[in-house]
Amino acid sequence: MTGLWVLSQADSSLATAIKHPIAWTAFLSAIAMWLMLPRGSAKGRRLGAIVGIAALGCLASCLLPLGSWSDNAVFWILAGVTLVAGVCTVTFRSPVYCAVWFALALMGTAGIFLVQGAQFLGVATVVVYAGAILVTFLFVLMLAQPGGDAYYDRISWEAMLAAATGAVLVGILSMTIGKLGLDHLNPPAADKLLENVLAQEHVAKLGAELFGRHLIAVEIAGTLLLVALVGATSIVSAQRNRPLLKNNGRFVATRQEATR
Amino acid sequence: MTFETIITLIKIFLLLGGLMTAAAYLVLVERWMAAWVQDRKGPNRVGIPLTKIKLFGLGQPLADGLKFIFKEDFAPKHVDKALFRIAPIVILTAAIAIFAAIPFGSVLPPLEIEGVPDPIPLLVTPNLDVGMVYVFALSSIAVYGVILGGWSSNNKYSFLGALRSSAQLISYEIPLGLGLIGVVLFAGTLRLDAIISQQADSGVWNVFLQPLGFFVFAVAATAEAARLPFDLPEAEQELIGGYHTEYSGMMLLLFLIAEFLHMITAAFLIVILFFGGWHFWGLTGAGDEVTWFTAIARIVVLAVKILLVVLTFMLVRWTWPRFRFDQLMAMAWKVMVPLGLVNLIVMAVLVEYQQDLADIVGAESLWPLILISWIVTIGAWIIAGLYAPLSTDNTPRPMSMPFDAETELN
Repeated sequence: MTGLWVLSQADSSLATAIKHPIAWTAFLSAIAMWLMLPRGSAKGRRLGAIVGIAALGCLASCLLPLGSWSDNAVFWILAGVTLVAGVCTVTFRSPVYCAVWFALALMGTAGIFLVQGAQFLGVATVVVYAGAILVTFLFVLMLAQPGGDAYYDRISWEAMLAAATGAVLVGILSMTIGKLGLDHLNPPAADKLLENVLAQEHVAKLGAELFGRHLIAVEIAGTLLLVALVGATSIVSAQRNRPLLKNNGRFVATRQEATR
Repeated sequence: MTFETIITLIKIFLLLGGLMTAAAYLVLVERWMAAWVQDRKGPNRVGIPLTKIKLFGLGQPLADGLKFIFKEDFAPKHVDKALFRIAPIVILTAAIAIFAAIPFGSVLPPLEIEGVPDPIPLLVTPNLDVGMVYVFALSSIAVYGVILGGWSSNNKYSFLGALRSSAQLISYEIPLGLGLIGVVLFAGTLRLDAIISQQADSGVWNVFLQPLGFFVFAVAATAEAARLPFDLPEAEQELIGGYHTEYSGMMLLLFLIAEFLHMITAAFLIVILFFGGWHFWGLTGAGDEVTWFTAIARIVVLAVKILLVVLTFMLVRWTWPRFRFDQLMAMAWKVMVPLGLVNLIVMAVLVEYQQDLADIVGAESLWPLILISWIVTIGAWIIAGLYAPLSTDNTPRPMSMPFDAETELN
């Protein structure tokens, strides 16, 4: 503590940073994450959860009021659910549970998009991530590890470094955005923004933007996916033409003939 | 509480009540239908309790519900408790939440009450501009209920059911999307109420305009609802009950209601996208100007159409045998996806050159579009039939012979 005090005397901007609740949030959540991450022992996981709740409380103390109480309640509940689900995604040990928590985090994110009025983004998040990618993931996890736990899932690499890096990154980002955001989040500006986004032709506007200004990016992304698809097909069909079976030493069929 | 909130709440209550009642009584209808097909009487005894009044068996759903409620809610010891409890809740929540974006009528005429905005759209979320994508998103969430239910049961039959089911649901989402994109392209909007209005204004239902899209969508919607002949997730003869083998009592009821709601959703979507929703020529009119007569006529027309589609689903159930799994997958990827792509390309070209076509023919009508679309449909159908002929061959495949590691490795 003395060291911190000296430092804060030396640099006033650092001093304000340390007094800021977000700094404490980042610090507490780093400890909580380290305690909760699977690191070879189950000791201190409960303590980690309690510290994590304290960190959430710390974060809640510096939230901006967003307007009416119902707006506040909806946003905070969604944000809280998303945060908790995110933490659980990385701290749970059973991969199936991790995937389910991740799905919940995605639903929370989609909800926040909806609250902000970005309807298409919200719904597309659910379709693409929760609906397609994560289901495929879950599918593979269940096939690969029907038992749920595997020994290599119980230890995450470098829990300490990961927690510290994450805390620093999140702390810096949220402090920067928090400072900038004060001007943008004035109620009149927010209302205007909402009106613009919630226009009747919401999807049409987004589509025009995507296929007008960002056309090349969209096309390149599409081409990449197509290349991946063609690659996967060619790998499969290369294996198909090999002789498949011998019945008493007699050649029976290639895979292609067999599945015809 | 503003009037809008109150009206939204009333709409939600009406929708939930209507849906639950409809699901309960449609089960009865399904059992009647099954009895009729199999030449027996079906449930016709349960009427008013403690009397001898039978009422054609109309009390049956209530008796069924009571039975489910009073059964023991039993979770076997070997299941994963948390996910076992969550799975039915997830699937039912997703199945019900879909109806937030689905219109159950057109609009109500002005009520002449101070402070009530008019006209009142019969849709819970009238401001949702992405209605179709929202429906799609929630129907893909339903897969979670099935997978989690099957996995957490910790039982091989349940797990096989869940695996089959997730493969099936993911595969058929693609033709489902391709089928509806044609409609969305033609209507130029993702809002379901706007898609109905567009069909009502032109007087031409989409089923006439894009029969190929309708075919692909209807098959994919049946598969997504896991109705026979696509009910591989629970195939009773092979998997006991599929992914809900271990469930009993209320938890099982949640799964069953969700399945029925999926069928009702599929019926709603087929009617709204392809059969003009609440529109019927000479009866309902078009546009937002309604009298009480047209408003009620629209609701009734929509309900009757949906009932007819649901009855078709039920009749199909007792008409077609179940697909084998490889047939199911081959149908999705080798038949439905290409047909859907053909429909999509044709619709995109037609929408782009609609005006030029009208100039050539010299009339502002949809006849040339319909003609081209039907020609393409018949052509694509013939090609699909030649390329992927109907195979009823069930002899053992060479694939199922003993695996020869030496040849496989070399």
